[in-house]
Amino acid sequence: MFPQDLIDGFIVLVMISGRIGFPIMLMLALGYWLQRGLRTEDQQPVLEPSRRVMPAWFRRIASEIESLPAWLPTIALVGLVGVVAMIYRLWVGLGAATNLNQAYPWGLWIGFDLFMVAFSGGAFTLATLVYIFQMHRFHAALRPTVLTGLLGYISVLVILMMDLGRWDRFYHFIIYPNINSALFEVSWCILLYTCVLVSEFSPVILEKFKWQRAVALIRKITIPLVIIGSTLSTLHQSSLGSLFVIMSERLHPLWYTPLIPVLFFVSSVAAGIAMVVAGATVSYWVFKRSLPQRLAGDLALFLPWVLGIYLTLKIGELLASGEIELIWTSGFYSVLFAAELVIGVLIPIVWFQFKRVLKSRTLSLVGAILVLAGIFLNRFDVAWFALKPVPGYTYFPSLAEILIQAGVIAGIILVYTLVGHYLPLFEGTITPEEEKRTRRVLAPSPAAE
Amino acid sequence: MNMTRRDFLKLCGAGTVVLSMGAKVAPQDWARVGASVPRPTRPSNGVLIDTTKCIGCQQCQIACQQSKNLPVDKTKRALCPVAPSVVKVANVSTDPDKPALKPVKWQCMNCVNPSCVSACTVGALQKRDDGPVVYDSNRCIGCRYCMYACPFGIPTFEWDKQLSLISKCDGCASRRDQGKLPACVEACPTKALTYGNRDELLTIANQRIYSGDGSYVRHIYGEHEVGGTTMLYLASVPFERLGFPTLPEVAPAEINAAIMHSTPTIAVGMALALSGIYWLIKRRDRLEAQLANNQNHNGGH
Repeated sequence: MFPQDLIDGFIVLVMISGRIGFPIMLMLALGYWLQRGLRTEDQQPVLEPSRRVMPAWFRRIASEIESLPAWLPTIALVGLVGVVAMIYRLWVGLGAATNLNQAYPWGLWIGFDLFMVAFSGGAFTLATLVYIFQMHRFHAALRPTVLTGLLGYISVLVILMMDLGRWDRFYHFIIYPNINSALFEVSWCILLYTCVLVSEFSPVILEKFKWQRAVALIRKITIPLVIIGSTLSTLHQSSLGSLFVIMSERLHPLWYTPLIPVLFFVSSVAAGIAMVVAGATVSYWVFKRSLPQRLAGDLALFLPWVLGIYLTLKIGELLASGEIELIWTSGFYSVLFAAELVIGVLIPIVWFQFKRVLKSRTLSLVGAILVLAGIFLNRFDVAWFALKPVPGYTYFPSLAEILIQAGVIAGIILVYTLVGHYLPLFEGTITPEEEKRTRRVLAPSPAAE
Repeated sequence: MNMTRRDFLKLCGAGTVVLSMGAKVAPQDWARVGASVPRPTRPSNGVLIDTTKCIGCQQCQIACQQSKNLPVDKTKRALCPVAPSVVKVANVSTDPDKPALKPVKWQCMNCVNPSCVSACTVGALQKRDDGPVVYDSNRCIGCRYCMYACPFGIPTFEWDKQLSLISKCDGCASRRDQGKLPACVEACPTKALTYGNRDELLTIANQRIYSGDGSYVRHIYGEHEVGGTTMLYLASVPFERLGFPTLPEVAPAEINAAIMHSTPTIAVGMALALSGIYWLIKRRDRLEAQLANNQNHNGGH
């Protein structure tokens, strides 16, 4: 029984990655091809005169685009396709644009929302560490993290809007409250927290335009802002779990527990820290600016602890409710559950024990990606894979759903890159050269060769 | 183990967080103190559906569609926006070679403590204290949370529209207000449907089960399921075979309410804990700096 389930699970995974991955790969390839076409044209001196006749503003924009990373137009293309798909979805309605149905009224998008909010948990985790616990050495990571969080939340709001049957009434949750509804609490907290993130991030823009008075004002209210933000985060990170408390009849017992709000909160802290650690490496590669690895390693040291608490809660809950044997008797669900815990929790706990890992950007990134993958799987399990099947119904996202999803993710990358390029995002971080220099000072090179 | 005061403070902070999270899953009774569970002021009315008397004529389905100004469509066998009440056909036979088909009327159960009402983001679904669960289509944003929340999978969605809403049976609440019977009850030619006070219906149901010829299973579906429903079912075969879900007696809405009503506690607790930690660490740093300053001063002389 077990091997057959394993094979089934593997086939499902291959199918999912194939059917979601293929259109995205196709688009990336197309973007790359188009872009190469542009590049070679640019390099041909024949075209130079034609460029000279262009108006000055056009030439400026062209040279600006050339100064940006080469892959950015491809990302912009994916984003553009996403926008077209969004207009299509709003025009034809949910039933025609998506594969959602009576038994699976939520799908890919809700899974993404759940993961994206957890992923954006880095913003509140780091703000709490820096401002409340006053670990000022992590300060340099704050701006990039807050920006990631802000973009994450905006993308969630966009996707939620797409997911509404009456998107023209999205503001109804403000004027028609239902305090018993977890989704009501989530919507309010996300709205308020997005405002908090905008304020936390505003100094980056205000500094660029040298509005010192506004910057000073934001600085003054930083601490209350962080306290409000972290409180709101605690509420909605856990309420996203509470969403599923009422779905006791639909969610597989391995995932269903009244404790699910706590599990969601703790795992969001882990996902948040992993995001900061991964972000340090990625921005080192892309922007040549980053948090010193020493500090990223310090942050990563929190991960085994948080993941340990998560694991204890998860296993402890199953033991307490007498459902522990479900771990190995649920077939396909057992595979999912085990994959989630092994990839996202057990391996990272061991991984981050090694000094070598903490010192290396690449190895830290691998560990952080494992954590994020585990939590990604967890959120998709809860929102999709671990729902009890209903006879006669299956769900797999439609092309429009996938394109919109890819477009929103591309939008996040696009905006992040542009902000990193034009605004003072990496204040207090160091460049690779600086890091090499400090490393040489801290650890004198071995005896002369 | 080396523990500095800073570590201790961190532990305190973490402890407070865990405790305040714990409040979210504390015993239900404790958390329900402030919860506003509406107490019925009028007797809760419902419908007793005796599936043994059903002949599958679908008159209830037609009457329902007519009363709601929907196109009459007898081919619909599953709930959908144009058929809030249907007659399903269940195969009750345990022998796969000899199917035995049985008609079952199927519609919203109009629960006593409905999950959909606690789930609804904008309060478009409301429980009326005389029984029915009513729907305000002017509020609904089409988030479909009610579809997942409902343990019976009742609410349906207008998938084929540009702007889509939810649809479900509301127990003919407006007809009841006019003093009329629900359309399905009025239309049933075999008196398989009985409208009345829920307690009285339970009495009738028990009488049929225990004083008849013993053809009924000894279970009134809806008496205890998910905290009770106002649509009650009698049957001559076990309900699982009729396609009814086996459900616990606790209403998921109750667990949900317990968790949701602890929100203010967590919010205040968390905000206080964070402020406290900030203040303590700030104060310690200031005192340490003062101390260092004084020592430097003395050392200088």
